[in-house]
Amino acid sequence: MTAFVLGLRLGRWGVVGFSALAFFSSLVQALAFFQLAGHTAAERAAFGKSMTQLATSLTLILPPPTRLDTVGGYVGWRSFGGLAIVFAVWALVSAGGAARGDEERGLVEAALAASLTRFEWIMSRLMAFAGASFVAAALGGLGLLVGTIKGDDSVSLVGLLEQAVALAALALSCYALTLLVGQLTSARIATAAAGMLLLALFLVNTLSRTFTWLTSVRWVSPFHYYELNHPLVPGSGLDLRATAVMLLIALVAGGAAAAAFAARDLGSPLLRLPARSQPSTYERSRNPAWRVPVVRGLYERRIGLLVWAAGIAFLGAVFVSLTKTVIQPLMSIPALTQFFGGFVQGRLYTSFLGFFWLSTAELLFAAFAIAQVARWSAEDSDGRLELILSQPQSRAIVVIERAVVLALGAAVIAAVSGVVVAIASHNQGMDVSNERLAEGSLLLIPFALVFAAGGSVLAAWNPRAAVGLLGAFAFVSYMIAEVGPLLKWPAWLQDFSAFKLFGMPLSSGIDRAGLLTMIAIIIVGFGASILLMERRDVGA
Amino acid sequence: MAVTAIRTSRLTKDYGIGRGLFDLDLEVAPREVFGYLGPNGAGKTTTIRCLMGLIRPSSGTAHIFGLDCRRDSVAVKRKVGYLPGDIPQFGSLRGKEVVAYLAGMRGGVEQKTVRSIAQRFDLDLGRRFREYSSGNKQKLGILLAFMHRPELLILDEPTRGLDPLNQQEFYALLLEARDGGATVFLSSHILSEVEHVCDRVGILRAGRLATVAQLEDLQHIRAHRVEIEFAQDAEVPSAAIRSAAGVEAVKVEAQRVSCTVRGSFEPLFEAIRHSKVTDLVSTEPSLEEIFLSYYSETSAPKALPE
Repeated sequence: MTAFVLGLRLGRWGVVGFSALAFFSSLVQALAFFQLAGHTAAERAAFGKSMTQLATSLTLILPPPTRLDTVGGYVGWRSFGGLAIVFAVWALVSAGGAARGDEERGLVEAALAASLTRFEWIMSRLMAFAGASFVAAALGGLGLLVGTIKGDDSVSLVGLLEQAVALAALALSCYALTLLVGQLTSARIATAAAGMLLLALFLVNTLSRTFTWLTSVRWVSPFHYYELNHPLVPGSGLDLRATAVMLLIALVAGGAAAAAFAARDLGSPLLRLPARSQPSTYERSRNPAWRVPVVRGLYERRIGLLVWAAGIAFLGAVFVSLTKTVIQPLMSIPALTQFFGGFVQGRLYTSFLGFFWLSTAELLFAAFAIAQVARWSAEDSDGRLELILSQPQSRAIVVIERAVVLALGAAVIAAVSGVVVAIASHNQGMDVSNERLAEGSLLLIPFALVFAAGGSVLAAWNPRAAVGLLGAFAFVSYMIAEVGPLLKWPAWLQDFSAFKLFGMPLSSGIDRAGLLTMIAIIIVGFGASILLMERRDVGA
Repeated sequence: MAVTAIRTSRLTKDYGIGRGLFDLDLEVAPREVFGYLGPNGAGKTTTIRCLMGLIRPSSGTAHIFGLDCRRDSVAVKRKVGYLPGDIPQFGSLRGKEVVAYLAGMRGGVEQKTVRSIAQRFDLDLGRRFREYSSGNKQKLGILLAFMHRPELLILDEPTRGLDPLNQQEFYALLLEARDGGATVFLSSHILSEVEHVCDRVGILRAGRLATVAQLEDLQHIRAHRVEIEFAQDAEVPSAAIRSAAGVEAVKVEAQRVSCTVRGSFEPLFEAIRHSKVTDLVSTEPSLEEIFLSYYSETSAPKALPE
């Protein structure tokens, strides 16, 4: 019981953050539905038909839609479909920490020394996450309920609970799989390896909708079983068999993780290559990269940068390949003309690629910046910043070097993904302007730096809260940009969104006012963080 | 005249509710090995972080070689080698990469110095930081503090996690640095450690400097708890023990005597030399216990005998 409570306590900020995210995501989508779908049955039927056509183009990310003419069906697809990815990422990060992170911090050793068995440790963490994910998923349901009441409509309470159960079951299965992978690999690569597994399971399911040969293997994916549930759709319900399979995956993977944990040494993976005998080294590395400011930061992050660049470039290529298939059905939807009217200017493919690809790239670059801010916060809490500041360099230089490393890292990613998108779009015969594409890609650098500047201020002010607050800002900012125009929110409110500053560089060119605002935010943000850093206590 | 290596004037860092460091006036001469003693939570690390410019004092000043620790912090840190109380995490970086990373920031680090220190501690720099034992992490911290041959070494509990052999190696390295012209400021809560290597000792209690003493003065507060077991047929010389110089808190229970000895053991040995002893155990009490006994239980600390 103590271990269960400890598990809940360790994950309390995750519960708060993801609950808020689920709640607002569902609330906003429910409100958007009532704004867009109309009020008569005919209007909603027309809206549902249009959205279903749109949804068929988004099946790489979102599940196939069902009854989009109802608020339950729409929010189930638009919000809970996306939350499946979000909760999987939460499970990945949380289980990565539980499997190996807590071990490195000595927490597991202390727990085992306090007479807890390894099986109890794994199960208590699994149970704690089950509770946490259910609470967060249930709050997602609450968001839908509030939105539905505001729209003078109704939704089944049982359906809401069942949706929460399905989402929590998916998250739990992802959590257990990550726990299992975490036992098998070294701590250094545990989360990355589990992430690869979850990504593969996700893609097996989503790509099976396009590549029929994958349908024979999608049964391995918990995401497939999640999509079989439609509890929010009138007349449908929880697929008990599918939900049971997800829980079974969690149970089997959790049990296997416990068995693997029992079989391995603390601090070592279950599977390890025999150590190569190497003579001892008593000299520092001769690699010149460590001697050059900024270069050392990039060199240290080289593997991460490579993964970010390759991942985003891959997604860029996928988006290019989907562009034509997306455009065809969209053009036949009159109701969406208003929605896309603002984006489609000039050349068709360029406009759509700009909208679909760059808006996704914005999210990814914001995530990249947040990941770097998380690293700055970690440097503070694990004492590394203290040692860095004991070297003869000013705090201002430390902040500036961080900013430059992040800018160059973002530049590498933007360049690689930009080149890949350019090549792929020309191969597809699209008339995308290389100049505009280069501008759009380069604009991602100041965009990432806007988040980094905010993160730098937060990390200098309160490093423990920096990532959570920055993540919340990114989420709110994204939601404002996403639904603000649809819900006709006031312009001043929409101006708060960092995503709005980016504009539509591929179709409209660079928004100079937006760029200047971004530059101003970057200068002010990093300037303020230097002042805060100069004044704050480090290591206290 | 040589500039004072460390000088603080009414240095205060107030964390509230009586915690922190208060009105510290301290001077450390060049080429001195200065021990900074105090129980846990006394304010040793706070002092060190003020000297390193990592935290802002609430009031007062701190200077290193005449440079202000806050205003001239970059110049100060050029002269200082710092070992923090807790070695930071460097994850999957190898030891040699950690050294190259921090040496790159500092500049002026010679490969032969790195090699020499790593070899004498048998620290394999080819291994990843996360694979290091706590002792090896501490060795790496020592290497990082000494690698640029600094003029001043500020070391926060430097022997934490080191085995006795490596502790001896560390003491030797410290004295070599001192002989090479370096000043050493070393915090510890182990009395015997500072006795081993320090020229002078500052004793901190509840955030205030209780005293600064020469090494020989430490004998006055140094105490050992002694338990003596006499043979069944032997007479217990309780009167002689009670009257022996430096022997206090004598308790006699049948053939067993427990007492506290301050300073030399000679008077006690003289008192028991004619009785048959079957067992004798001497333990060094913790600093907290020494403070409790030496300063009795009054809030105002007694001054050490001059």
